[in-house]
Amino acid sequence: MLPCTSWGLWRSAILTLKTFRASPSRRGLCIPTRAVCDAETIFALSSGHGRCGVAVVRVSGPASSMVLRNMAGLTQALPSPRTALLRRITDPQSKELLDRGLVLWFQGPHSFTGEDSAEFHIHGGPAVITAVLQALGSLEGVRPAEAGEFTRRAFHAGKLGLTEVEGLGDLIHAETEAQRRQALRQMDGELGRLYQDWGYRLKRCLAHVEAFIDFSEDELIEDGVLNQVDSSVRQLEAEIERHLKDERRGERLRSGVQVVIAGATNAGKSSLLNTLCQRPAAIVSPIAGTTRDIVETSLDIGGFPVLLSDTAGLRDSSDSVEREGVRRARQRVEQADLTLVVVDSTQLPPDPQLVPAFLQEHLSTVLPSPSPEAGMEAASDRVLLVLNKSDLVPEEQRERTEGELRESTGLPPACFLSCYTSTGLEDFLTVLQSRVKTLCGDPLSGAPSLTQARHRAHLQQSVQALIQYHQYRDQDLALAAEGVRLALTHLGRITGRVGAEEILDIIFRDFCIGK
Amino acid sequence: MLAQKLHLLRHNFLSFVSSRTGSDLTRRQYDVIVVGGGHAGTEAAAAAARLGAETLLITQKITTIGALSCNPSLGGVGKGQLVREVDALDGLCGRAGDWAGVHFSILNRSKGPAVWGPRAQLDRERYRQFIQSELLSTPRLTVLEGSVDELLVSQPNPEEPGHHRVTGIRLVDGSHPILSSSVVLTTGTFLSGSLFMGQTTSPGGRIGDVPSCAGLSYTLKETLGLRVGRLRTGTPPRIVKESVDLSLAQLQAPDKQPTPFSFLNTHTRCKPEEQLPCYLTHTTPGVETVVRESVHLNCHIQQDTKGPRYCPSIESRVLRFPGRRHQVWLEPEGLTSDLLYPQGLSMTMPPDLQLRLLREIPALHRAEIRTPGYGVQYDFVCPTQLTPSLQVKSTQGLFLAGQINGTTGYEEAAAQGLWAGVNAGRTALSLPPMALSRTQSYIGVLIDDLVGRGVTEPYRMFTSRAEFRTYLRPDNADLRLTPRGFEEVGCVTLRRYEKAVSVRDGLQEALMALQSVALSSTRWREKLGNISLSENKSTTLKCSIGSGLWLGHSDFQRHVPKPLLHCLGCVLRIVVLPCH
Repeated sequence: MLPCTSWGLWRSAILTLKTFRASPSRRGLCIPTRAVCDAETIFALSSGHGRCGVAVVRVSGPASSMVLRNMAGLTQALPSPRTALLRRITDPQSKELLDRGLVLWFQGPHSFTGEDSAEFHIHGGPAVITAVLQALGSLEGVRPAEAGEFTRRAFHAGKLGLTEVEGLGDLIHAETEAQRRQALRQMDGELGRLYQDWGYRLKRCLAHVEAFIDFSEDELIEDGVLNQVDSSVRQLEAEIERHLKDERRGERLRSGVQVVIAGATNAGKSSLLNTLCQRPAAIVSPIAGTTRDIVETSLDIGGFPVLLSDTAGLRDSSDSVEREGVRRARQRVEQADLTLVVVDSTQLPPDPQLVPAFLQEHLSTVLPSPSPEAGMEAASDRVLLVLNKSDLVPEEQRERTEGELRESTGLPPACFLSCYTSTGLEDFLTVLQSRVKTLCGDPLSGAPSLTQARHRAHLQQSVQALIQYHQYRDQDLALAAEGVRLALTHLGRITGRVGAEEILDIIFRDFCIGK
Repeated sequence: MLAQKLHLLRHNFLSFVSSRTGSDLTRRQYDVIVVGGGHAGTEAAAAAARLGAETLLITQKITTIGALSCNPSLGGVGKGQLVREVDALDGLCGRAGDWAGVHFSILNRSKGPAVWGPRAQLDRERYRQFIQSELLSTPRLTVLEGSVDELLVSQPNPEEPGHHRVTGIRLVDGSHPILSSSVVLTTGTFLSGSLFMGQTTSPGGRIGDVPSCAGLSYTLKETLGLRVGRLRTGTPPRIVKESVDLSLAQLQAPDKQPTPFSFLNTHTRCKPEEQLPCYLTHTTPGVETVVRESVHLNCHIQQDTKGPRYCPSIESRVLRFPGRRHQVWLEPEGLTSDLLYPQGLSMTMPPDLQLRLLREIPALHRAEIRTPGYGVQYDFVCPTQLTPSLQVKSTQGLFLAGQINGTTGYEEAAAQGLWAGVNAGRTALSLPPMALSRTQSYIGVLIDDLVGRGVTEPYRMFTSRAEFRTYLRPDNADLRLTPRGFEEVGCVTLRRYEKAVSVRDGLQEALMALQSVALSSTRWREKLGNISLSENKSTTLKCSIGSGLWLGHSDFQRHVPKPLLHCLGCVLRIVVLPCH
């Protein structure tokens, strides 16, 4: 994890340094003693490992131009920035030819890290890569990068915000289309901008409360400053609450929708898993109680990531291993985003009219009893009924049952399906996909969504702290201000720390404060 | 308590001074030398002496020791916390404030006890007298009138970090050097100071005092290679009270019952009814006109291109926030003084324009100026070059405190002076240096900010700088600092320590006694008024140590439950926590 708390500190150090450079002769300016720039130059293979057509090796740091000159045989000027140049790449010591490839020069601050950088696009054979990396390592002041170091430098240089860094991490790890879209959107800074905006408004609220505390007795602080803060805090609270009430869509898209297959023994749960992932991931046998542990597999359903788990069939058993399996199955169902309740169609009552009541009864044995706040409706959103082995039910009975199920209310959608013949699979997949899509939300529409549990926790604590503001507002303004400070600290865990100086900046800008 | 202090104030203190200064200065070696007799210097000297160090205070003029060179007031929001903490560590300024105060008020009464700001208007003469008499009766402390020409340094002690080591000072008169292993510099605005008024500039740190410190300046910059910056400050003109039409200003009465700064005092010297009022008035558009017309005649302002974020002078206020009314406080300068101090009207324009500006304010339409306002520019040493014990990192035994570190304000200076004095004394006595944490005191916040972040404008204390503000309250400074000050630091006298311990124990006892009383919520409300309580049949109060919001109520003392009778003295500092 990145050292997010040092963000404000770094930024202010950098700003101070810039001011200093702009007016070196000015007196009265103290330079912070903390060192700002990473003096070392780093390199790393930036493309994946293994044999490939082209591999990219990146170099960043003050010695980048030296590296480029030495390795690409550039005696005169550097290539113009961001222009590819075909060069012979040689070992700086032995002058031996290592490869022929493209080199690029990025002059700081116009680079990913904000430092001087260079890139070598070489052939992707392991021997070529090793030779180039070894040659780089032989240069003085140049060392291999640590994991994530390029990004860390970009972060410290202010090229990326924390949420953008997290988005970048997600983009690199994105496996499905929708994940890629969400990550890209986050990396563009859209989520960061949303949080930054809240941070800015909260900072202003705090500054105004602090101004009122520190200066209202001596200075003219306009009336109504606190009333404005009251309404701003209330509005922020509402906005963050709304953002939090997204049913965890963004996080789900990031980490995958938890879909759990559950039901009685021998209903065909493992067959469904194998059918969905199109390989024999779980052992299938006619013996009841074959699956005992959880079998997990990840799937891409219509661009959305799904984590599918097969569970032990639910029944009372004297076998202690199976009992543990059932316990785990029930636990999984409780944590599931979506439960596929598999029912053996041959076990349905022959009279179609009795089927809805039968299924209702059956669901209550499979699903955990609904908590009071989440009504039956919410539960039926999270459940799909899969009526398996439809090939063993007469066509006419199936159709009448389907008709009956369409009429009945309060039941989750049900699909007849045969894992054996794949009949009904298409229809089921369509229903499943639309459910998964609803659970993840459209990553491109509306406000950017919350993508990480970490963000959620801090935002929740932020809202809690804002409630403290209202609680103490009329009794003790110092305690109320503490609420806003706390809220800002929590938000700062996402957007970067806010120091006392920043608050004072706003105070002195917005109010006329004398000596 | 204060009455006991009375006998210390010698009427003939000036003759007493001479007996310990000047020609019969026989010692040529001290544990600690403090240069400067302002708020930082006096606290430093007194603290070092309390620690047990043989201390010498060198000042240009003994008569200006303890002079309030700017505003005649002490404390306020944030600053009041500092005064309380200095007092809790047995410093001088809190008791001096109680002795010299003529108008006491607690600011921010309505905003929660953590941000209450004890403040007082002072009688300049009384403040000076108290500080002088206190210093001159401090054992192990000698005061010497003179100007320091040079700081003596030698090779460092190789076992400790640093490039130099202080060995003493040499005075301007060229006499023998005075040796010491610790030197505290508190030269205020005198380091390359220059005064500004209109278009004239003259060297100096305060009007009426000779410029000094040229040699010191050289040692700091050239010999020790310290980085310095330049800051500016200013002071308003002093107005003849008789010439002010106070009927056109708003009367600001003091608190009916003055609250002392010092934890040792139960009352202030000034009786409640003897207190003097302040007056509030406002600027007019005419003031803005005069400022605009005088800009070209005002060197100080013209150079103020990259000034501080706040507005130190009326010129910068008007130029930065045009078209507004700005507050002007007319403050008494003392019981016998015939002057008023216009807080908020610090200015550096030529004197004739200063008069014109004042007269644009209705209450001041006939005002007469006794001394005009002026600006000061001075060098400060970038405080990031100091350790948290306020020692210069590169120079063993050299401590800096006050405006020389880039701060503004008496309280900030006093706080640093005390801590520099403590560490100078400890160094001289071969004890390890100490730092105060920002989690435990405003002094810690102040020093940590200075040495960790540095300054780009005069540093002033605000409560918003303290992350642990709700704990660093003015009411609990004694509980936070006094026991530690005695047990670990050594700067607190036994008398104060015993008092703080008895208060601490008494509070605990009172808390326990109070929490043993269970009454119905109706009965509690009868006694305490409308407080929020859980609605149980029988309930105890949820209490904590704080500033008395409820229990200090006089009604409560009449209805006090029996078990509490003997802790009545303490209940003033206990609060009932609201139930949520």
